[in-house]
Amino acid sequence: MPDQTASPQLSRRGLLGASTAVAAGPLMAAAPVVAPATPPVDPRRPVDVALTVNGQQHHLAIDVRTTLLDAVRTHIGLTGSKKGCDHGQCGACTMLVDGKATLSCLSLAAMVRGPVTTIEGIAGTDGTLHPMQQAFIDQDAFQCGYCTPGQIVSAVACVQGGHAASDAAIREYMSGNLCRCAAYPHIVAAINQAKDGMGRA
Amino acid sequence: MSDITEPQIMPQGAPPSAAKPAMGAATSRVDGRLKVTGAARYASDLYGGANPAHAYLATSTIARGRITRLNEADARKVPGVLDILTFRNVGDRIKPGKIFSQKGYMGSSIAPLASDRIQHGGQIVAMVVAETFEAAREAAHRLQIEYAAETPSATFDSPGLESISAEASSREGEQPGEEKPKVGDAAAALAAAPVTIDQRYETPIQHHNPIELFTTACAWTDGKLTVWEPSQNMYGFQNGLAEQLGMAAADIRVISPYVGGGFGSRGSLTQRTALVALAAQRLRRPVRLETTRDQGFTIATYRAETRHRVRLGAGTDGKLQALIHEGWEVSSRPDNYKVGGTDATTRLYACPNVDSEVTIVHADRNTPGFMRSPPEVPYMFALESAMDELAVALKMDPIELRRVNDTMHEPIKGLPYTSRTLMPCFDAAAKAFGWSGRDAQPGSMRDGEWMVGWGCATSLYPTNMGPATARVVLTPQGTVKVQTAGHEIGTGITTVLALMAVSGLGVDIAKVTVEVGDSALPPAPVAGGSNSTASIATVVAQACEQIRGRIAGAAVAAENGPFHGMDPAGLVLVDGTLRASSGASEPLEAAMSRTAGGAIEAYAENIPHGVPEGALKKLYLGQGTLMGGAKLKDRMQFAFGAQFVEVRVNARTREIRVPRLVGAYAAGRIVNPKAAKSQLMGGQIWGVSAALHEATEIDRRAARYTNNDLAEYLIPVNADVQEVTTILLPEQDTQVNELGIKGIGELGNVGLNAAVANAVFHATGVRVRELPIRLEKLLEA
Repeated sequence: MPDQTASPQLSRRGLLGASTAVAAGPLMAAAPVVAPATPPVDPRRPVDVALTVNGQQHHLAIDVRTTLLDAVRTHIGLTGSKKGCDHGQCGACTMLVDGKATLSCLSLAAMVRGPVTTIEGIAGTDGTLHPMQQAFIDQDAFQCGYCTPGQIVSAVACVQGGHAASDAAIREYMSGNLCRCAAYPHIVAAINQAKDGMGRA
Repeated sequence: MSDITEPQIMPQGAPPSAAKPAMGAATSRVDGRLKVTGAARYASDLYGGANPAHAYLATSTIARGRITRLNEADARKVPGVLDILTFRNVGDRIKPGKIFSQKGYMGSSIAPLASDRIQHGGQIVAMVVAETFEAAREAAHRLQIEYAAETPSATFDSPGLESISAEASSREGEQPGEEKPKVGDAAAALAAAPVTIDQRYETPIQHHNPIELFTTACAWTDGKLTVWEPSQNMYGFQNGLAEQLGMAAADIRVISPYVGGGFGSRGSLTQRTALVALAAQRLRRPVRLETTRDQGFTIATYRAETRHRVRLGAGTDGKLQALIHEGWEVSSRPDNYKVGGTDATTRLYACPNVDSEVTIVHADRNTPGFMRSPPEVPYMFALESAMDELAVALKMDPIELRRVNDTMHEPIKGLPYTSRTLMPCFDAAAKAFGWSGRDAQPGSMRDGEWMVGWGCATSLYPTNMGPATARVVLTPQGTVKVQTAGHEIGTGITTVLALMAVSGLGVDIAKVTVEVGDSALPPAPVAGGSNSTASIATVVAQACEQIRGRIAGAAVAAENGPFHGMDPAGLVLVDGTLRASSGASEPLEAAMSRTAGGAIEAYAENIPHGVPEGALKKLYLGQGTLMGGAKLKDRMQFAFGAQFVEVRVNARTREIRVPRLVGAYAAGRIVNPKAAKSQLMGGQIWGVSAALHEATEIDRRAARYTNNDLAEYLIPVNADVQEVTTILLPEQDTQVNELGIKGIGELGNVGLNAAVANAVFHATGVRVRELPIRLEKLLEA
């Protein structure tokens, strides 16, 4: 649950109602629709959000429209996850939420309850690279490197979810992560290299 | 040194990197760890310091006209809004700046908030600054803007276009007529030729779409400005911004440590940067602008659409007798931007009678700019498609057609190529591809419901170089710092420069630090025209040689040392020691103890062949002078390649698949084959993308782009790409520069669009002359 020691206190129902209305706000420019039993909420007032990112708890007071991506990058300061489209079209922002590959630009921070893993949390705490990270270096699976955090997080989920049985399966699973430098064949090679070292979750 | 001596065939995966890092050894990137851990900081990750305000753009919904009403009341009511920049409060406070072809720095001379005038769709009409990104975005959407719209000219065939011959708008450094290569009497030769081709070709609008957005952060401290922005041209941005803001360039620092994809899109200064600087000045607070993906289609540059007419005349032996290439390119209303690719296409093959012409067509559009292989992608599509059509007309193998027209001298002035390994590239790629198994008859190769087609084409790219500077510092402990304002856009320049230090100073690569991406460093040329490795590696090698020379000079002078009286030129730094061929050696620390002080610092400047005097001063002013290709007075400098592709077209649905690509390239000395392979491979995939995927669609009535996001602007995804083989051929070129380096960044994607079209013709019998090739164009097959 969010840290509720700071004002304003918000029920989960009220929060969800407010965020839904506000998400449509910029397009419709309509007044927020609030369930009758819920007290009116100023959608622009900062809400308290608790996020567990890479094992660390963060308490934020942020605009309810803040995406998980912006919360992590702008408010927590972990800039490894990248914004390439803000529309769920490129995959550069991919994080693990509850262990599942998630487009953080399409997730409102206030709605996230499970633990979040970003690219900064993939390596061991002693700095030892994850087999997938090492494989990306060995196979030269990037050039500019901007999509790489999202590629690696998706690649970890690809193997852990059992989607790396064949090159074709890897290509299909990884097709939500765009690479404009077109390192695709090397990304497939990296996943093949790493999957043996990872075992199966 | 482990320079390649025979073709290196590189199928899936990266070449091994067991070899000891050195010039020519496949080496993992020195910034690899930073990039796989999320620790690499891109300009978009640097928000301009603590507590920046956030900016959001509003852009025009019309392409031509004026703003008649701009009501900020609703926007101002959004809590947290701090400032709104419009034409009313910007006006002439920012100078528009000239585009680079007019000796300026800008990608476009259209100054968005200079007045109420709208000159293209998606032009910036306001910038809202607020406490949060969310508030700025909401307020930008709440601006009420009304326009008096005029009918815009969108593209070719629209009413109201204006045309100008490229010759009349020659770029700086070009001689009149360079845009119109001509020799002999092409019209007469064409009329007399027994076999002729006369066809028209078209290439579409394309946008670079690097994954990093077009962000900018600005902060002022004591009248000095720091800018964080993805850049391929540090000094150009610094000096251009100084001109726009009316301040000294020395008071501006541009920082761009890693760039999330360039492809040409960050080569020239955009109009957004000065707006962010102005906003930060007004607020006395750092301001960070994050633009949206769709805004990137109109506030930056792009590859404009082109049209071509190519006429070829040949004898029955296949030898070209006439070649006429005419091109038409779209630009914006005020700017004469052109790519002008005929300087390469008229000089590629032996032909005694050549003519050409390029025409710029002005429309109500944002100004286009360089995008990976700017001239070669469209112009070589036309020429290499026409060559394939000629091969079909001659009933001749397309490789043999290139062979009979191969030449070591370009036909216009008879200048020699410094090296040209085109036909060995064709032979190596053909062998790896299995070309000898091809049945030339279109539609003859079938695999179940798939029609199989094999096609090929020539690739070429000019070997450009610019003046460059670098500073290298070596300590007695063997640590090295290399400093130059180059650009790490993914090319692996930092690894290349680290390898130069390893080879020149005999140090461990782990002890080399390379600093690029900062206008406070010694200037380097724009990361464009595939010049960076040749230009910067050369000058870093020179700085390393200065250091070696100082150490060696002191060593041979020392009477009590092991090198006394020897020729200093014969001493080398290797494995942390100074060594002579006689076997005498001593540790670096001991060798350096003879020179004054601890560390040795060297600064080097290099002005390449053919670059006019004063170019170094211009480099410091942000105006690089790239020279090479067909622009030299005494010789031709080009890298070559051969592109092969297999396509499969479904006989029922006409769905097009590309199961395999084979490319062979010769580009002089390859400093790091591992990264070179990746870059060429990426280029090959770009070539397929240009042929089958990419096109920005435009609404012809409104002159606005309609598929301006990554869901509808198609680029390849992982599942689109299967087998890609990249072959590097050895090539020694002793003329291009001391190290024999050519560029490879843009070689991989040239001509491949034609190779795909040629393969589609071979599969189906349908010749598609307008890219991209989509299944509806094959329904007649």
